[in-house]
Amino acid sequence: MTYSLFGFRSFHKVWKSNLNLGLGSGYSHVCLLTDYCGLRKQQRWFYLATVSSQNTKAKSLRNAKAKYLGEGDEGSDKQVSSHSLHLFAAGSAKKRSQMNPQSEGHALPPPRNTIQLPATPLNSEEWDKLKEDWEGKANFENWISSQLVHFHSSVDVAKSLLAWVAAKNSGIIEYNLLVKYLSLCVFHKQTAEVIDVYEIMKARYKSLDFGGYKLLIQGLIHSDRWREALLLLEEIKKIMIPSPQNYNDCIQGALLNQDVNVAWKLYQELLSYDLIPLLKTLKAFFDFGKDIKDDQYSNKLINILFYLRDNQLYPGESFAQSIKTWFESVPGEQWKGRFTTIQKSGQCLGCGKTMESIHLSPEEYEFLKGKVMRDVIDGGDQYKKTTPKELARFQNFVKNHPPFDIAIDGLNVAKMFPKLRESQVLSNVVSHLAKQNLRLLVLGRKHMLVHGSRWRRNEMEEVQKQASCFFADNISKDDPFLLYAAMHSGNHCKIITKDLMRDHKACLRDVKTQRLFFKWQQGHQLEIINRFLGSKIIFQHIPSHDTVVQTTGDSWHIPYDEDMVERCSYEVPTK
Amino acid sequence: MSVTITFLRPFARFWVPFTLHRKRKDLCSTILQRYMSSKIPAVFSPLKENASSPEQLELDGWKTTMKSSVQEVVSTSSSSKDEDPLAATRELIETWRLLGKDVPEHINEEQLKTFMECASKSSKKKYLRYLYIRENRKKADQRNKEIKAAAKAAAKKNTLIETTEEKKQQNFLFLRLWDIAMNTAMNWRVAQAMQFGQPLVFDMAYHDNMKPREMRNTIFQLSASEGYNRRNVDPFHIYFCNLKVDGAYYRELIKHYGEKWDKLFLTATEKSLVDLFPKDNIVYLTADSPNVMTTFKHDKIYVIGSFVDLNMQPGTSLAKAKRLKLATERLPLDKYLRWGAGNKNLTLDQMMQILLCLKNTGSWEEALKFVPSRKHIGYMEISRHSQEFASRLKKSEAFNSFPKGSLNVCTKKRWRE
Repeated sequence: MTYSLFGFRSFHKVWKSNLNLGLGSGYSHVCLLTDYCGLRKQQRWFYLATVSSQNTKAKSLRNAKAKYLGEGDEGSDKQVSSHSLHLFAAGSAKKRSQMNPQSEGHALPPPRNTIQLPATPLNSEEWDKLKEDWEGKANFENWISSQLVHFHSSVDVAKSLLAWVAAKNSGIIEYNLLVKYLSLCVFHKQTAEVIDVYEIMKARYKSLDFGGYKLLIQGLIHSDRWREALLLLEEIKKIMIPSPQNYNDCIQGALLNQDVNVAWKLYQELLSYDLIPLLKTLKAFFDFGKDIKDDQYSNKLINILFYLRDNQLYPGESFAQSIKTWFESVPGEQWKGRFTTIQKSGQCLGCGKTMESIHLSPEEYEFLKGKVMRDVIDGGDQYKKTTPKELARFQNFVKNHPPFDIAIDGLNVAKMFPKLRESQVLSNVVSHLAKQNLRLLVLGRKHMLVHGSRWRRNEMEEVQKQASCFFADNISKDDPFLLYAAMHSGNHCKIITKDLMRDHKACLRDVKTQRLFFKWQQGHQLEIINRFLGSKIIFQHIPSHDTVVQTTGDSWHIPYDEDMVERCSYEVPTK
Repeated sequence: MSVTITFLRPFARFWVPFTLHRKRKDLCSTILQRYMSSKIPAVFSPLKENASSPEQLELDGWKTTMKSSVQEVVSTSSSSKDEDPLAATRELIETWRLLGKDVPEHINEEQLKTFMECASKSSKKKYLRYLYIRENRKKADQRNKEIKAAAKAAAKKNTLIETTEEKKQQNFLFLRLWDIAMNTAMNWRVAQAMQFGQPLVFDMAYHDNMKPREMRNTIFQLSASEGYNRRNVDPFHIYFCNLKVDGAYYRELIKHYGEKWDKLFLTATEKSLVDLFPKDNIVYLTADSPNVMTTFKHDKIYVIGSFVDLNMQPGTSLAKAKRLKLATERLPLDKYLRWGAGNKNLTLDQMMQILLCLKNTGSWEEALKFVPSRKHIGYMEISRHSQEFASRLKKSEAFNSFPKGSLNVCTKKRWRE
């Protein structure tokens, strides 16, 4: 017990140090090229920003494979050294939370009633003795079996425990003990035992719970009776939609036993239930694909990649490796894959191709504009965020002005530097932008016009000279107006705010629209990254390309998640 | 599988006594030997002969017992039952109960149907948990009832013995009719309030925003607040506005109150509150309001939205007040309490108690006692203004300590004179 705790704590340290070390940025994609279009690159290079103690081996291996070019890492090094991460870059939320340290007491779990778990099977007297020593409130058999499962004891110990229980209860073993024993067997891959328990359960119970089914499926797929796992899946379907994990196990089983058709059928079924497949499942298809030389199969794999693209899923590091190896194993088409990053200009360092633009297509843009108007601003009850009168006033205001270049969230910008007066900050930012001959829109609330210690009238008048302003009521929300004004102005219009707009994104009904919104936000949101209000205001760089699985027919670019970086849902991978 | 069972079934009874074959006997002895020398760990080997562990032995014996037990069950139940999803669900819940999950022991058809209609896995689990907790509560109540009944019986016995010992005539002023007397007195008071009391409106227009569970909670809170109002010295005249007859709300209320519904001393109307009262006098109470309530005004009509919001719909009542162009106010919780955790939306009965207290005493400290103590750390000791005043006093005291002392001397002298 203590040993494991110690291990855990040291691991925690390792994890932290890794995070601090390896929060590199820069974009790395798997870049895959064919050579039948004559685009054959001589130099191959490989870039990894993270320097963590754990994958140095892998790195050196890959470095041995790849010739290293010295010029490519300059731009990326700059990014690593910059202390602020991009708003939507993987790991930045984690970093932000570390910047504002909270008193986080890592309390150790209270010392529990510890019994030395038996390492060898015991006989009934010894079990009796153990039970006497134990002084807990719960049922001893339950507790000890959970402990056995938790510390992954050997199957024999659990077996002896069951024998003892059966001897006590005239040969009857409770269901929960059986399930725990089963999970141990599955963990230790004791297929014969799993089958025995399966027989017992089939005889004893008409139906099991989902945990039991899951374990049985996991156990049976390794045996030659793997088809019965599919029957169990049918049993689950009678009551509920099976989990992606269940499907994952069944598909793995089918692939293990070379039954590709069943695997694909299950995969289609999984999609038809609107479940999101586990990345493990997709990885299994790619891993299996190496040995198959079949056009149909490869087309289906390409479809999986399109699925990743449509749903903005990013493979993990090992999955990215599998994809790479599968592509390189395709006969006749000499694919070459590298792990690279994307430059700021949106060009892949591996092949120099330009990535897909972050901008939405006109149809998507119109669609999103309508949705924002209908869901975010109106939302079925115009009084919630604004009033109809105000909405009409705003729409007139937008119509009567020519399109803006930048829409500023006045309150958000003004409150960025707590030590300075709000109106001063706002007028500084506005004048800085006005010098660049940009058409500005400042959105605010009416209380900003009331002269006070925080809002000086003369400064506000200066703002109104340099920019067109719209002041909403004090109890209205200003963000929806900001969004709509920016979208109404067109594709070139940017917004300035630190707000991540997650609540407004949540107002959009379906996932697809949310993704469009996120894409638009990535391309159009400027964030001021100054710590101090100096002469020059620095904005966060906006990526010119979209981070998504993409293809040009003869090449694929696939972003992936590193194993050592945590990513929030509103961030995109940098690799 | 079932085929094999049926095949074995006729023989099962004969087999049970003779389950231990010759091989088994040998195995038993080997196992016993192995257990006696338990220091040698049992090595699992693929050879079944060696590896047929005690557990397997047990389980085999146990299988046969099982078969004999299942035999009776299956013979009564038809095989088509397996196909019935309801039965399957029942079985599932039973297995969950065996696993020690929070599921009820007994579940009736209606609840099963509700369970099947739950959209997602998690909602199903939540519903089962709710049933489980309710069942436990019922059981506990039953137990307490029995204990109380036993204690009562014992007490009665004792009193009987006592009364037989001393049979004295006792003189009383009143007959024991307290409850009834209290009820009539309360009803008189509420009837008076109906004629001359200050209106307090519950806005019932939120039935579309609530799920059944929230609806139940709302009804419960409404009845509690009605009870508090009835017990008060100076009750409000309660209005239930926007109450649609034959709406979900109305049905639930009727279900809750039963026959008493028609005898309640309150006004339930389908009309909107704007039709009943002048707009300028209405104050809509909502936690989202930008305006803070400073004093309780006896000429205003306060409106409480009867709405339990468990799924994040902020600003619903504020939007409603905005639409009707009504004045809104919120309680000055931040001013008087050091808010800890929890939502600033209070329950309807808490609101009722606070308003009644304000009406009768007018002190915020008294009234805000009804805010749950878990939600705040304590009262603000002194408001900021008076704090500054006190600190200024202290400073001046420190500065003028010497002359003050001399003054004191002077006063003493004067006294002597």
